[in-house]
Amino acid sequence: MSAAINIIEKVPFFGGMFKVEDNELNPVNAWPSLMAMTAFVWFAIAAVLGVSMPTIQFLDLGPNWYYKNITLHGAAMAFPFAFQLMVAMSLHRAGACLGKRADDLFVSLFYIFMNVGALLLTLAVLSGFHVTYTVMFPLPVVGVGNGQWSMATLVLGFSGIALVLTSMIFIYPIKILKMSFFEKTDDTLQVAERTLKDPGMVGMIMGVLILLVTGTPLMIVAGSLLLHLYGIFPAAWIGWAADPVVFEFVFYIFAHNLMEAMAIMIIGAVYSTLPLCLADGARKLYSDKIAMIALWILLVTSLTSFFHHFYTMYPALPSTFAYHGNIMSYATAVGAALTIFTILATIWKHGIIATPALFLILGGFVMYILDGVSAIVISNVAWNFKLHGTMWAGGHAMVVLIAISALWMGMLYYHYPLMTNRTIDDSLARSSIKYLFISYLGLFYSFMAAGAAGMPRRNGDWEGDWFIYGGFIFFFGMMMLYAFVLYFLSLTRSKAIDY
Amino acid sequence: MIEFLYTNAWGAFIALLMFQIPFLLVFFHVVNKKAFVDSEPSKTDPEKYSYSRYGWIAFVVVAFIVVNAASIKYMPTIVEANASTSQDVKNVSVTARSWFFEFSEMEYKVGQTVRFQAKSVDTVHSFALFHPDGSQLFTLMLVPGAGTESAVVHTFTEPGEYTVRCLEYCGVAHHAMKNTLTVL
Ligand code: HEM
Ligand SMILES: [Cu+2]
Repeated sequence: MSAAINIIEKVPFFGGMFKVEDNELNPVNAWPSLMAMTAFVWFAIAAVLGVSMPTIQFLDLGPNWYYKNITLHGAAMAFPFAFQLMVAMSLHRAGACLGKRADDLFVSLFYIFMNVGALLLTLAVLSGFHVTYTVMFPLPVVGVGNGQWSMATLVLGFSGIALVLTSMIFIYPIKILKMSFFEKTDDTLQVAERTLKDPGMVGMIMGVLILLVTGTPLMIVAGSLLLHLYGIFPAAWIGWAADPVVFEFVFYIFAHNLMEAMAIMIIGAVYSTLPLCLADGARKLYSDKIAMIALWILLVTSLTSFFHHFYTMYPALPSTFAYHGNIMSYATAVGAALTIFTILATIWKHGIIATPALFLILGGFVMYILDGVSAIVISNVAWNFKLHGTMWAGGHAMVVLIAISALWMGMLYYHYPLMTNRTIDDSLARSSIKYLFISYLGLFYSFMAAGAAGMPRRNGDWEGDWFIYGGFIFFFGMMMLYAFVLYFLSLTRSKAIDY
Repeated sequence: MIEFLYTNAWGAFIALLMFQIPFLLVFFHVVNKKAFVDSEPSKTDPEKYSYSRYGWIAFVVVAFIVVNAASIKYMPTIVEANASTSQDVKNVSVTARSWFFEFSEMEYKVGQTVRFQAKSVDTVHSFALFHPDGSQLFTLMLVPGAGTESAVVHTFTEPGEYTVRCLEYCGVAHHAMKNTLTVL
């Protein structure tokens, strides 16, 4: 039996989400199931932390708790939840489409690095390392200097971050590239045959290449700093890496493209799944060509749109880069507009079968586009100076992750019968989707309105009418928790398929 | 109207809705129709798809160009660059450190145009100015070692107490990094 199945069976409560049968499809099912299950464990913790934030403000428990919880919430949601869920589903898809094993050393190393790294970071945050999931360099170092946390905590936190980044930037991309181009095909695993020309596979390969290419400079900078912290590199060697401007740029070149990579990957997956849910069984998109052009536009324009993170440094960021970032951000949206067209034209032409899986995928797509609009608005130089640093920006980062996660959760519904030989509970799934969508809209507009009203993000001491927006965030946050409980139940109450 | 759109953050919120609502209407109409009302393949003439394809993309591109072109006048980068040729701009320097601000001047007169030049000396901070009604006028991100100070030009049009805040998370007392500028 696969080690992964062994672990799932031993995990109380969450293990029930994936009653994976021990069979010949283990190599593509077992580890992805374990990863998806673990992602939901992180989600449960992080969601409670999410609703704790407005609670801390209402009960006046102090900014320190706010900063602890925002760091844990952001980090857990972005990495071991959203990213790990994506890796789980893409490994399963790559395995079953290309007939490659998703259970080798790379896969288990990814799992260990991601989850152990996230645990180390959690320990550091619990002992006071409150730097938010964007690290805010040079804050970690300055914080040691003025006594906010200890050197040991900094080393622990950075070690955790390094493990997480290694899993995302090296281990996962290399594994997907190996599966796509090198490993031997095993016909028994290839249950849903696809070629590398399929938009879904193209999106996946583009995504991992983005991670590898834009992440490597960050790994070099962060790696140098870490080796210095371990006492291996002398200070003289790492002065260049400790320059805040160097760090901030390599960080955002990666962080921005990380979101784009995740978006390209899921859009690709939608392109390959939608045709399988068409009412007339046509099994094809309105146009593969337009789908492909959209992916390429997203890829090319996203690479340099990261400048929108730095407009407000003007003139330290020369305005020409600001205008370039502005134009590229809107060009990205042209890729999204083509995607909207392809999806709607496909649905219009062939009709769709309204399964929960497809509905969650379409709902997630709507969430993704709504968020995209908030992104292009704040990418305009004039609007950016009004919104940067407000809840608008924080809300956009959060809801893009929720949208992408919702899309992968739809993919999980779609692949669940293949992964476990069971069918999800249809009516629980439908109400889960309903509440997820409503709570998404509620959270989204609460954050956007708070931003428009001038409520700062990451502020541990709310004032005046910020509490109104916080109240809405609490309410819709509870609703989102409820939606996830229903999602959880729709899997634990799944029924075995008998032939 | 256009001025409000770009100089008030609620203008951005309106722009958000103006893009989103048509998308939502069309998307829900198509999905509802083809999932529940009539999921048979549509007999739409293939020509029509290609018209709507080019029409849609042309619409998106034109809308994007218009939205951005109309905003150029209001971009703080442009305002600052234009003001550099004018004599009656008052230069004010702002220094941010954990967790307070230092200003070369804290009282202004209505009608006065000020160039704020701001820098941070320890970690990443920002210098954000809020109107007495609570809305954000601008924010400048201050990265230590950026080589040059960040700058913005602002004309005070109303008297009152303007709150200054740091909006880049900078540690345990980030929320306390506040100050007040007075406009008489
Ligand atoms: C379950 C309901 C949720 C609630 C009530 C909630 C609430 C919050 C709150 C209050 C903030 C802090 C805003 C600030 O002060 O700047 C926040 C930030 C954030 N949330 Fe959530 N959230 C929820 C779900 C999620 C989900 C599902 C994800 C990702 C998949 C997510 C990702 C994030 C991220 C990345 C941040 C930014 C953290 C930062 O700025 O450092 N949240 N959330
Ligand atoms: Cu600060």
